[in-house]
Amino acid sequence: MSQQAKAISGVFYFLIPTSGDWKEKSRNFLIGLSIVLIGVLVIVASFIGLALRSNSGIGIWVVGYTILCAFIILIAGAYRRFKLHEGLITPTRGWFLITVVFIVLGMISALVGFFWIPEEAASLSSALVGGGTVLGVIVILLYDVFPQLQDRGSAGYVTMTGLMIVLAIVYMTVVSWWIVPYDPTRLDVGPYGAPPSAQFPLGTTSLGQDLLSRTIAGGGIMLQVALISVVVCFSIGVPLGLGASYRGGNVDKVISLVMDSIFAFPGLVLAIAIAAMLGPGVVNMALAIAVVYIPSYFRVVRSQVLTVKELPYVEAAIVMGARDRDILFRYVLPNVLPSAIVVMSINFADAILTAAGLTFVGLGLPVTVPDWGWDLTFGSHQYIAGKWWVITYPGVMIVILALGFTLAGEGLNEILTPRLKE
Amino acid sequence: MTDLLRIEDLAVEYKTRRGTARGVDNVSLNLEENKTLGLAGESGCGKSTLGRSIMRLVPYPGKIVNGKIDLLLHEDIVFPKGVIEKGFVNIMDLNEEELRALRGKEIAYIFQDPMTSLNPMITVETHFQEIMKAHDPDIKKEEALDRAQEILDGLGISPERITDYPHQFSGGMRQRVMIGLGLALRPKLLIADEPTTSLDVIVEAQILEEMAELKELFNLTMILITHNLGVLAQTADDIAIMYSGRIMELSPTEALFEDPLHPYTQALLESVPDVSKPDKKLSWIPGAPPDLVDPIPGCMYNPRCKHTMDICKTTQPGLIMNDEERLVACHLFGGEK
Ligand SMILES: Nc1ncnc2c1ncn2[C@@H]1O[C@H](COP(=O)(O)OP(=O)(O)O)[C@@H](O)[C@H]1O
Ligand SMILES: [Mg+2]
Repeated sequence: MSQQAKAISGVFYFLIPTSGDWKEKSRNFLIGLSIVLIGVLVIVASFIGLALRSNSGIGIWVVGYTILCAFIILIAGAYRRFKLHEGLITPTRGWFLITVVFIVLGMISALVGFFWIPEEAASLSSALVGGGTVLGVIVILLYDVFPQLQDRGSAGYVTMTGLMIVLAIVYMTVVSWWIVPYDPTRLDVGPYGAPPSAQFPLGTTSLGQDLLSRTIAGGGIMLQVALISVVVCFSIGVPLGLGASYRGGNVDKVISLVMDSIFAFPGLVLAIAIAAMLGPGVVNMALAIAVVYIPSYFRVVRSQVLTVKELPYVEAAIVMGARDRDILFRYVLPNVLPSAIVVMSINFADAILTAAGLTFVGLGLPVTVPDWGWDLTFGSHQYIAGKWWVITYPGVMIVILALGFTLAGEGLNEILTPRLKE
Repeated sequence: MTDLLRIEDLAVEYKTRRGTARGVDNVSLNLEENKTLGLAGESGCGKSTLGRSIMRLVPYPGKIVNGKIDLLLHEDIVFPKGVIEKGFVNIMDLNEEELRALRGKEIAYIFQDPMTSLNPMITVETHFQEIMKAHDPDIKKEEALDRAQEILDGLGISPERITDYPHQFSGGMRQRVMIGLGLALRPKLLIADEPTTSLDVIVEAQILEEMAELKELFNLTMILITHNLGVLAQTADDIAIMYSGRIMELSPTEALFEDPLHPYTQALLESVPDVSKPDKKLSWIPGAPPDLVDPIPGCMYNPRCKHTMDICKTTQPGLIMNDEERLVACHLFGGEK
């Protein structure tokens, strides 16, 4: 293989005819590849198309800048791979190099944002840093992680698809402010409840907001709520389940009782009650959802630990004099984590839906904040009047995001379990 | 020869809903260094319970209610939170930390089922690393790896396979890995609880052979638990026959096969198929072992015994030593203890 070919990896690998004969590659694969490529092209083209009509006027530059960042990271990735083949660096140092590139690029992006439009430095900087990073992560995933995931068969593809969906939405959200055609927070930018037209491709809401802008920008709240609630749930539910069930005794009984009583409430109703208590806001919404979900983690982890800790290999470890912490973190936890991750993917998806539900009953956010949940709320009244577009687009986005999280979770679960590797 | 292990009046009870079952009842035995003791008997007679008691690992709801288990230590065992001094230690007096230091280091235990005895989430190498680290926190990774590979090599597993996950090994290889893990820290006593029961006959023979070799190599003292007397014929120096939680007979292997003393041993031997004598009629022991929750008075074997006398139904026979220095618990051999 030539020197350049060694640096070609990941999905890009398939772009070179290795044996000089395309026919040898399966037709299905080529079809799949073209679907992916066309999909990517459509997405890139629509981003650029949007960027050209952007409200901020510099949308195209923002998107271009982040693509440039991704390109630099791609080059760094290729350089790393090249050096790795030469045997000049270890894999760990290679990743260190990539991390350094990410950090340096991030700092440069922050400065660029600061000097570009000083009045809007904060939001521009974060868009540039976030957008560049997310696109960079996408590139690294496709270039370096994809071959490894591919080895794992269908689970790898599923994970990859899920991650790509989620990251694409994250990217869209991060740069949204700069590429939207209208200010998504403003009312009365167009007619009230107008159907899709050339000027407003997805139509307008009943308050005269541009639906396209709101659809692009509306993911932020959902993502934040989902992320915060999942982190909170996971970091409380899993250790609680692990500790309670591993030690057993009265502590276990008390915690189980509390968890079961929370579990007994219908989730959304409880979330509504808590959200009403805490008041509106992203963090409060996340906390309300977290409280509802902690028992799920706790229960799944607990029941798994109870099973796993009686398994012969745990006993075998005890017999060999293994330390408690090894048994807990090496024997019990890894065998429990896959189930917790399944709950996590469901939790992500459900957090999004619950967040939509909270906004739907008016416990979410004020009307000016672009949010799919809000549009769904308002749209539901309009839908009866035949204005299908008001709920269709936000609804579809919510479904896609939830799907992305579910796919990623399912795939990861399978990959993280070596037993299923074959 | 000195004794490595001395068990005195060991009794283990399982508290169940139906009542208390004596899994092990007043067992006493001495185990000389570098000898192999075979522990045989029908399923449910308390072999595993006895083996686990030595590790203080009787499964819930079991509890050691009485007895002494003295183990001879040749060297002090130093562990982060203290020291166990050399000489005889009573395992019953040790706390959790001390037990942990002892397990794996002085006594190794191998379970019946190799398919589930390895953690599916970590590689074989990690298993070795952890066990060695647990007992010697300062050990270097490379050193542990070297030692693990050496052990695997000795067991006929190519050292490169150390990075494999358990599911990539066959049953026989997994049991070899388990044996390797057990021996990684050079323990003095190896307790193997039916180590080959779940394997096929050829692999069984190979593994028993390897264990015999390792025993020589590492100066091991072994307790081999099995329900297969044929296995013991080749490997054990002495055999203890258990029935209903008690030891019925303890004799040198050859003597036991040639001239079994206890009626139960005789019946057991008659039920072993012998390929060299195809004409031999296979017999089985009529009846079933007594319920441990509701023990019968007298000798536990009396309802199934051919030689039952009146005394058998009232008085439990103790283990007595006959003139050939063999131990037997049966009224046929008269004499008080
Ligand atoms: N977990 C348990 N709960 C209740 N009783 C048990 C338990 N384990 C073993 N026993 C009792 O102890 C007796 C001896 O069991 P065990 O030592 O496993 O026998 P062996 O290994 O000889 O087949 C059994 O007959 C059973 O009644
Ligand atoms: Mg057993």
